[in-house]
Amino acid sequence: MDAKDILLGLPKPTTTPTPLGHQLLPLPADKKSRPPKESQRKPDGISREVYALTGGLAPLMPSVDVNHLKRRAQSENEKITWQWLPFTSSARKDNLQLYHWVRVVNGVPPSGDYSFAKYNKSVDVIKYTDDEYEKHLTDPMWTKEETDELFDLCERFDLRFIVIADRFPTSRTVEELKSRYYSVCRAILIARAPAPGDIAGHPLVKDPYNISQDVERKRALSMVLSQTKQQERRDAEVLAEAKRISEARKAAKGTDELEVPAMTDTVPDDNDGAAAAVDSLSPSPNAQFTSGAIAPPVSEIASTLASLRMMRVYLRTHALEQMVQAASSSAGLRTIKRVEQTLQDLGVNLKPKVPTKAVCAEHLELRKEILILLNLQKQLQYKEAEGSSYRDGLYAETPGTPPKRVQRAVEQDRTFVPDSFSFGGERMGKRDQKRKAPGRLLEGPPSPAQSKRPRKFKASDG
Amino acid sequence: MPQSSSSSKKHGTDQPDTGGPASKSQRTKMVKSSDDTEKKNLAKKLKELEISVPIVYGNIAFWLGKKASEYQSHKWTVYVRGGTNEDISVVVKRVVFQLHSSFNNPTRVVDGPPFELSESGWGEFEIVITLHFHNDVCEKPLHLYHHLKLYPEEDSGPMSTKKPVVVESYDEIVFTEPSEGFFSRVQNHPAVVVPRLPAGFALPPPVPLEDADKRRRGDTKDHTLSQWFSNFSEADELLKLAAARQQVQAHIATLRRQLSLIDGQHQQLKSASDILVHLR
Repeated sequence: MDAKDILLGLPKPTTTPTPLGHQLLPLPADKKSRPPKESQRKPDGISREVYALTGGLAPLMPSVDVNHLKRRAQSENEKITWQWLPFTSSARKDNLQLYHWVRVVNGVPPSGDYSFAKYNKSVDVIKYTDDEYEKHLTDPMWTKEETDELFDLCERFDLRFIVIADRFPTSRTVEELKSRYYSVCRAILIARAPAPGDIAGHPLVKDPYNISQDVERKRALSMVLSQTKQQERRDAEVLAEAKRISEARKAAKGTDELEVPAMTDTVPDDNDGAAAAVDSLSPSPNAQFTSGAIAPPVSEIASTLASLRMMRVYLRTHALEQMVQAASSSAGLRTIKRVEQTLQDLGVNLKPKVPTKAVCAEHLELRKEILILLNLQKQLQYKEAEGSSYRDGLYAETPGTPPKRVQRAVEQDRTFVPDSFSFGGERMGKRDQKRKAPGRLLEGPPSPAQSKRPRKFKASDG
Repeated sequence: MPQSSSSSKKHGTDQPDTGGPASKSQRTKMVKSSDDTEKKNLAKKLKELEISVPIVYGNIAFWLGKKASEYQSHKWTVYVRGGTNEDISVVVKRVVFQLHSSFNNPTRVVDGPPFELSESGWGEFEIVITLHFHNDVCEKPLHLYHHLKLYPEEDSGPMSTKKPVVVESYDEIVFTEPSEGFFSRVQNHPAVVVPRLPAGFALPPPVPLEDADKRRRGDTKDHTLSQWFSNFSEADELLKLAAARQQVQAHIATLRRQLSLIDGQHQQLKSASDILVHLR
């Protein structure tokens, strides 16, 4: 029986008088909206509140197999009582009598030492004799009293140097205390050892405490810890920059594009190497490069050259593949397909059948030139579209003037059509024939700034 | 120093500038130190050069015709040869052909020229050809991949036992930063393409490792299958490439002209629109 049962289990008190009046009992009538099932059924084994946690429904499957739960060992055949009993601990040196609850089984209290006594560990701090002190341990910075005091504190506080430093009578830093302690220990160790070889492996002997290093380390740590977010960001930037510079230096040895500050001293040698390699690969130095679009691949090409050189042995076809990739690194997939289509139209094998040094060089140059060609074609398209939008604006303002039009290249996908470029003031007639480049034109009256603004040129489509 | 002049000087007193014994040792000292810088320069120059070895690799397959069985329908030979049929064993120590796992001992090692392997079978598969070079050449091996072809194209008529199926690929092995020893050893070998050292540099004449006879046997000029070897000439390809480049360059020039003309036009339009704006 729980509270709800008591409260709701009773019949409606309509006319039944109660000692304190009618209204004290909650009328089940109020609660008719709630399904009567819930209040009537009370689950066995667990309290109503716990059952309500499950959402009012019993789980379909037991989440934990009851068999998996540990059974209290021998809980049936033993009598367990709990008693408030005194105990002693081997960890205590005084005779203080303490009490605690003890689980008594069948009238027999547990035996043995206090279970936590085994955790009472302490450090074995060495003890030196006065004689030893005179012989090995004297130090201009430390008096005997101070040293004795230090060792006493070390023993008391288990080498917790921060506490020791706190308690030390004269003001000494933690590092100074550590230094004195470890050097004394080391000296004693060496003095007491029967043969130097015995303790040569001891950590104190091998790696003695270095006070200046420790001071420096802690200073650096605190600096790192106290860095502001901005400093952290700046440090990360500097590291990334350094990494980039060292990688760029490795890959693109000696190209002029490097902006490495004067701290590198190997650049002059590498310059010759890379220059000679570039010369040997491309016999024609006067390829016509447009400034904007082709400059980026130069560092790709240089790094490819460098990595090929590092391979020590490779196949020429492989080298050509890499160089083609590097040269087209700034081009999108569609552009590359157009380059290949152009090559086919020109009757050139996509991969040379006789890849000698000269053939590969020519092939590479041809590909580069085709890229330039495609770029120029796109530029032309843009310019023409620009021009026509100009004319639109002009046309809108002066309806009487027939605009001059440039006949534009009809093809967009077939790139190699030499006859399509005719030049002259032929009037196209209808405005609708004008084709707009996808999404790039500005509608409306042209602003004077338009033509002056250098069009950002991308080699890739879309 | 020629023998006569030194002997004539023996009688006279030392004359520093024409080379008595004292000045000779002086000069030797000077030559030695310039030798060192020369050596350094040579080493530097060598680092920038590349040595290449043209090769052709592929297979020749004969249909066995009447003698063909279900599992042995073709007799084929896979090989690597010099591009001009010269002996590549000057550079190549051994070649390993890795065959399909269905073959017995699919890893076949060939330790000397001619670097080839003959087998019989029915299947086409990829063969990995690994070239191992001499120690002074390169420590890393190089891998080639060749798809064994036995069956002719569809439109080449009935199979014949007389005419084999031949598939060859031309490539060049490029060695960067060659060592001095390697360079001097191969600088005059017909199988190797060695760039000319710039003026002033010279390497000592090579110590021939093999005698001429042995070298002759390693080339494939008189190979039994040499009649089927393809001829790879770069001239054709170069011509085609040059023509293509010319076309593209002309096209580029045209486009450039057009672009500049349009720029001029735009200028005119701009000034026209400016005027119109003012007129409004």
